[in-house]
Amino acid sequence: MTKIITAITLFICSLLSAQTQFEQGMGKAFGLWKEGKNAEASAMFERIAAADKNSYLPNYYVALINTTAAFTEKDKTKIDLMLTKAQDALDVELIKDQNNAELHVLQALIYTAYVVADPMTNGMKYSAKVMEAYAKAKAIDPNNPRAVFGEADYQLGGAKWTGVDTKPLCAQVDKAIELFATFKPETPFSPKWGLDRALEAQKNCKK
Amino acid sequence: MKTKLLFLISFLFFTTLFFAQNTISGRVVDQKGKPVAGANIYLEGTYDGATSSETGEFSFETTETGNKFLVVSFLLFETFKKEIDVANFKDQTVKLRENINALDAVVITAGTLESGDKARVSVLKPLDIVTTAGSAGNIIAALQTLPGTQSVGEDGRLFVRGGEASETQTFVDGIRVAQPYGATTNNLPTRSRFSPFLFSGIAFSTGGYSAEYGEALSSVLLLNTQDEADHDKTDIGLMTVGLSLGNTQKWKKSSLSVNMAYINLAPYQAAIPQNVDWNSPYQSLGGETVYRYNFTNGIFKLYASFDSEKFDLNQKNINFENPVRTDMNNNNFYLNSSYKGTFGTGWQITSGISYGYSKNKLKYDVNDIDNDENAAQLKLKLSKKVSNHFKLSFGTDYFITKFNEDFDDNVSLQASNGYNSNIAAFYTEGDIQFSKNLAAKVGFRISNNSLLDETAIAPRASLAYKVSKSSQFSFAYGDFSQAPVVNYIKYSKYHQFESEKAKHYILNYQFTKPGQTFRAEAYYKDYSNLVQYDTKDIQYNSVFNNNGSGYAKGLDLFWRDSNLYKNLEYWISYSYIDSERQYKNFPTMSTPNFIANHTLSIVTKYFITDWKSQIGFTNSYSSGRPYNDPNQTQFMNGKTKAYNSLSFNWAYLLTTQKILYFSVSNILGTQNVFGYDYARTPDVNGVYQRQAVVPTADRFFFLGFFWTISKDKNENQLKNL
Repeated sequence: MTKIITAITLFICSLLSAQTQFEQGMGKAFGLWKEGKNAEASAMFERIAAADKNSYLPNYYVALINTTAAFTEKDKTKIDLMLTKAQDALDVELIKDQNNAELHVLQALIYTAYVVADPMTNGMKYSAKVMEAYAKAKAIDPNNPRAVFGEADYQLGGAKWTGVDTKPLCAQVDKAIELFATFKPETPFSPKWGLDRALEAQKNCKK
Repeated sequence: MKTKLLFLISFLFFTTLFFAQNTISGRVVDQKGKPVAGANIYLEGTYDGATSSETGEFSFETTETGNKFLVVSFLLFETFKKEIDVANFKDQTVKLRENINALDAVVITAGTLESGDKARVSVLKPLDIVTTAGSAGNIIAALQTLPGTQSVGEDGRLFVRGGEASETQTFVDGIRVAQPYGATTNNLPTRSRFSPFLFSGIAFSTGGYSAEYGEALSSVLLLNTQDEADHDKTDIGLMTVGLSLGNTQKWKKSSLSVNMAYINLAPYQAAIPQNVDWNSPYQSLGGETVYRYNFTNGIFKLYASFDSEKFDLNQKNINFENPVRTDMNNNNFYLNSSYKGTFGTGWQITSGISYGYSKNKLKYDVNDIDNDENAAQLKLKLSKKVSNHFKLSFGTDYFITKFNEDFDDNVSLQASNGYNSNIAAFYTEGDIQFSKNLAAKVGFRISNNSLLDETAIAPRASLAYKVSKSSQFSFAYGDFSQAPVVNYIKYSKYHQFESEKAKHYILNYQFTKPGQTFRAEAYYKDYSNLVQYDTKDIQYNSVFNNNGSGYAKGLDLFWRDSNLYKNLEYWISYSYIDSERQYKNFPTMSTPNFIANHTLSIVTKYFITDWKSQIGFTNSYSSGRPYNDPNQTQFMNGKTKAYNSLSFNWAYLLTTQKILYFSVSNILGTQNVFGYDYARTPDVNGVYQRQAVVPTADRFFFLGFFWTISKDKNENQLKNL
């Protein structure tokens, strides 16, 4: 009897510690990211991804950190490196699961970063891909606030010079904000970003 | 219960005790010993690790014990992995090997000008083909703004580095196109049959190219169709010169694109004064289609195009009192199917078949000249990546050409000439990447031509060395051979001809920074075995030999920049060439009439956000070209005045999906002269009279409206223009 209990205790212990290890690691990585230490945070998420292949989240954040950092980077060589890294990390997860709306939203974001980095060269090439990725995300989850907002925001970004009617796009932004309010992330670490930027876009719409 | 609790507590206590901390520290450097910052160092399977600092140093603590794998990874380097004893890894140096597949590895660039997705350094972007003023959607016209090309206004085809237009071969998805140009006749320029629309990448090699390509003395133009369609859409174009319609359907694994165009130059010819007299305007009806199917490990593509052209005009000819009538009908069909995929470990296969059929019905004065050509190519190529440092490719191809021409002067003479040619070739090539800074490609091609009854071996080699982060040198050498053009071999009897031959030596320097590219290339070409004949024109009773020779040497410069001023892009190309030949019926070694010693192109594009417009200017200049004046004793002694043309275009976005496009060539109305045609016989005073060869019209105007209907509101046809 004691043996069995010991075994079970040991099992639970290891289970518990494994669980906390993931949470601790993720928590630490988020901490680094908040401090603005992008490279360190990305490296931490990479280590978690290498050790823990069950969750898509570590690779998702490797991709997200490098993509968002690419938006503010000026050096084109570095942008290329960051986006290559982001794409590599995302590819690992996309191969495993084609039916995750968040991954497609992130794919759209990577393409958007390419467009922003060099609109003259990449605008035509990636615009269609951005829209396609958002369409895929919405087909899987029509109520994903990031997909709804991202798709509208991308078109609003181009509206300045394309002269497209912004009214229906702004309506989509409003809808996305409602969706953000009701959105429940699956786990504490699941993606939940985007509301700030949506509110910002809403402000611009009302101008 | 108590014991259990006690046990649990003690267990937890002991485990924390067990987790004694070990420190792992060291430094990450590259092969030269320079610190690598930002590398990710960790114990495999754990969360324990660190990121290297600016000085390459790292240090972290771990609760792991015993032997573990230490992993050091950084994008630009090969991942380092080593089993270590966790307790004994302190202040160690980890040396990372360069990952030669990384973004900035050296690439052989001698002779090659690339555009498109895969190109590391794009000299020309895909969009450039259509947004370059003066190109009017003609791939060839856009390429003529690059160094190494000669603009030959009365011909329209690509002339590369002292080579005739026929010395350039065109390939679609790696397979040859036998008839890449539209129908033409006496001094009327032709254009490329291919609309830039369906191609995503273009590589234009002005010499020293891979052993994969044969039967081209000077140059190869490689066009690659898109692997993937964007999405479902319909394109409509209304132009002053015709209509166009396109549709793309995309399914899960496959897609189909279809384009149709009807061109009629009647309105343009009515509005702009013409230098020739048209009986019926240039008209063409053409279409292209691409079907793609994606397998798990490969992609199958089927490309087909057809077009039918006709025109009828009267041209002044110095030898006749009245203008001479030319009535041309051409039908052309081209089919190309290819499969590209991977199998096994590191194997890649490319295979394909092409078939081209061209039929010309020409009435020239009272003569009827009808010809047809059937041409096919079969190709198989395999390559195996042996390691990160070595790739081996080998392949075989087979060309079949069948040509026949019937001549009838409708009085007394009737003749029929033609030939059948089969060429079998095998080639092999090795790509060696010694390091990130040094790469080489060595190979050879062996081919057998049944019509000429000859077998030839052609070695090729190239080398690239990177001297600094942004600059590199490349060198290329190659032997090239090509069967004589149809004008000669249609009279072939008993294997009488031999292939014409050329040797290329190219030295290239390239400097690149984001948004900036500079290239300088010096070359020397040695021609031998060129065909000569002893009559005024090529005819059935000419005596031919293969004793001709020639050379071409020169310098090409290219500068492209998009950093100078926001929203402005420009490039400048300059070519200097010195070339002479003794071939055809030349009595002495002389510079042929298609060569201008100096060529300069300046292309600018400027995007004006407030106007939602892109405007562009292109200026093309070339110095005078030689011509032969029979009134002078020295052969090819004349020289035309310099050529200059300034073109302008304007694309205006009405909305995202509606574009208005306007272009005009030769704004300044420069009266250009390409050369002179002299009378065959002197007049009563013993003087040979002449007539200038001029463009059919001094200017070309184009106005078009393009509309895209698709779900994606950002998609438009800017790239088609």
